[in-house]
Amino acid sequence: MTDKPLEPDSGLTQPETREESEAASIAKESPDAAVASAPVSDVEGMKEVLLDDYTAWSRDHWFHDDIEMHPALIALRAAFPDAVVDAVRFRDETTIHVAPGQWRAICLFLKDHPRLRLNFLSDVTAVDMLRLRENPRFDVVAHLYSLPNRVRLRLKTGVNDGESVSSLVPIWNGANWMERECYDMFGIIFEGHPNLKRMLLPDDWDEGHPLRKDYPLRGWSEFPVMNTERTVGRVRTRWTGRGVS
Amino acid sequence: MTTNTTLPTPYEAGAVFSTDATSMGPLTIEEDAALQSGERVMTLNMGPQHPSTHGVLRVVLKLDGEVIIDCDPVIGYLHRGTEKLGEHHRYAQVIPWTDRTDYVAAPMNNLGCVLAFEKLCGVTAPERAQYWRVIMSELARLASHLVWLGTHALDIGALSMSLYCFRERELILDLFETFVGARLTTNMMEIGGFSRPIPENLPGMVRDFLKIFPERQQEYADLLSANPIWMARTKGVGVIPADVAINYSLTGACLRGSGVNYDIRKAMPYCVYDRLDFEVPLGQHGDTYDRYLVRMEEMRQTIKIIGQALDQCERMDTELMAWDSEYVIPPHKGTMTTAEDMQRHFIWVIKGFSPPVGEVYVAVEGPKGELGYYVVSDGSPLPYRFRIRAPDFVNLSSLPYMANGSMLADVVALIGTIDIVLGSVDR
Repeated sequence: MTDKPLEPDSGLTQPETREESEAASIAKESPDAAVASAPVSDVEGMKEVLLDDYTAWSRDHWFHDDIEMHPALIALRAAFPDAVVDAVRFRDETTIHVAPGQWRAICLFLKDHPRLRLNFLSDVTAVDMLRLRENPRFDVVAHLYSLPNRVRLRLKTGVNDGESVSSLVPIWNGANWMERECYDMFGIIFEGHPNLKRMLLPDDWDEGHPLRKDYPLRGWSEFPVMNTERTVGRVRTRWTGRGVS
Repeated sequence: MTTNTTLPTPYEAGAVFSTDATSMGPLTIEEDAALQSGERVMTLNMGPQHPSTHGVLRVVLKLDGEVIIDCDPVIGYLHRGTEKLGEHHRYAQVIPWTDRTDYVAAPMNNLGCVLAFEKLCGVTAPERAQYWRVIMSELARLASHLVWLGTHALDIGALSMSLYCFRERELILDLFETFVGARLTTNMMEIGGFSRPIPENLPGMVRDFLKIFPERQQEYADLLSANPIWMARTKGVGVIPADVAINYSLTGACLRGSGVNYDIRKAMPYCVYDRLDFEVPLGQHGDTYDRYLVRMEEMRQTIKIIGQALDQCERMDTELMAWDSEYVIPPHKGTMTTAEDMQRHFIWVIKGFSPPVGEVYVAVEGPKGELGYYVVSDGSPLPYRFRIRAPDFVNLSSLPYMANGSMLADVVALIGTIDIVLGSVDR
């Protein structure tokens, strides 16, 4: 390492080739291009896609008052006619409920769609809807984010206890631990997960799944209550004047 | 008469020692197959009490010589059920629990939680409170990065860095102590702003710190950036290409070190970050050295942000707490003197408030990445679901990708470069 010139700490390593520096400068300046390592031609092509018919895909439509104008909803309704169950808007956040059967196909579609490009999986979790509705019991929630478009989308699907939902690990490796935690906490089976076992709790934990609503705060098992029975009589000191038993 | 006081050795006692592996009991199928094929794979358990694991992380490694062929992180030793606890407390009572997740940057956790609750309730903090939120959370980012730098360098072998970094972290904790009286678990922010006034000497103290810190940080950079040992241990170690980083949902410096420009402060600005001038440093190669450079540059940008925020809020004279009769805690003024104020305050604290039915996901750019809070409300005073998207939990899932094929000694460098705090990983 000593034969190399020492690099100053004035910032970052200098790009070595011209192509790299161009890609880096585009990534820093252009809001559309988030991936610096992408070749220049790819970034340009992405810009063309975004500029093409830009009015129909502008940022306003993601936050339009009419939720039916949401681009992801339009695209999903066109590609999966029966899949969209419901769409909710709350505080500028859009939630799309979809049928569980096409969970992975829908996520792959949203990821690879040339304009939606919801290519970043922020979070996978679940909600136990035990006290809120009858059927299905759980909501599996995925928070998707689009690095080029800078928008979030929440996808939900409902599963019952004992049913399985297809895993997202073939699409995003980041779903691996999130789904494991989800299985650990709720007992939801993710079909196709490579290593579905307990994440935070011990492997031999046999007391169920703690984030379910019917799981008590202190667990199922009885805790040992210490010092309720005295095996030895109370020893009083002579200072109390009561004698020693 | 002589007595033999020493016990007979096992050999003298007639014990039979066998060199046969099966004498220790039947072999498992895997062990038998390994014996038959002549494979020489050793399973090494690292942790959970290993000092370089930053807490209680256990890593089960499979080694071929000194090369790692499989790596399985085992976490959960610090799991305290923060999400379950959050579902059993009222909204205002949940905020102190978030201090305990990422405990080296407690105000940042407060910020994300409070922003999520405010978005749920439709409350906006006053401008001055937002500036001070930015200042305090950026100080927390600085404290977290200092802990990262100290421990990361300590793992790799630069012992004195940890002493220097913790020296500067003390200054930041002193600032927190001046403000709220606590140093580690500060419980600083509340729904609607700050309920405590900003002490008069605090802006001056922060400015003094801003004068001191850049020189000190330059000293660290002089010690490390061109250090041949440091570069040998970090350059080319744990390389993550950009597409893989996105695929693993990495955030923070782990993602930006690979050259992906995703900083929530820029991408989806919260508080007043859209009024502040700062840059997002990006790496080129995605290795440990680039992530080090990115975090060092982030610390310089943080200094810049704090200075600007102090300048901009210097002459503001507004309140620090929003006024909202339902969702914001009533002012403390008068609670000790008038019965009405005391009752209103008491009832608000005991009964809590009921936000509208809905769900929000708010993410802030924590020191370790995207720190997200997903809150579901069913209209009751308790959150129906309280989910913390911990950045280092997700970042840690890329450890097997980085470790497989590397040397055993690099694992400590990789664990350090992910920048984990097990309180946040296990929640």
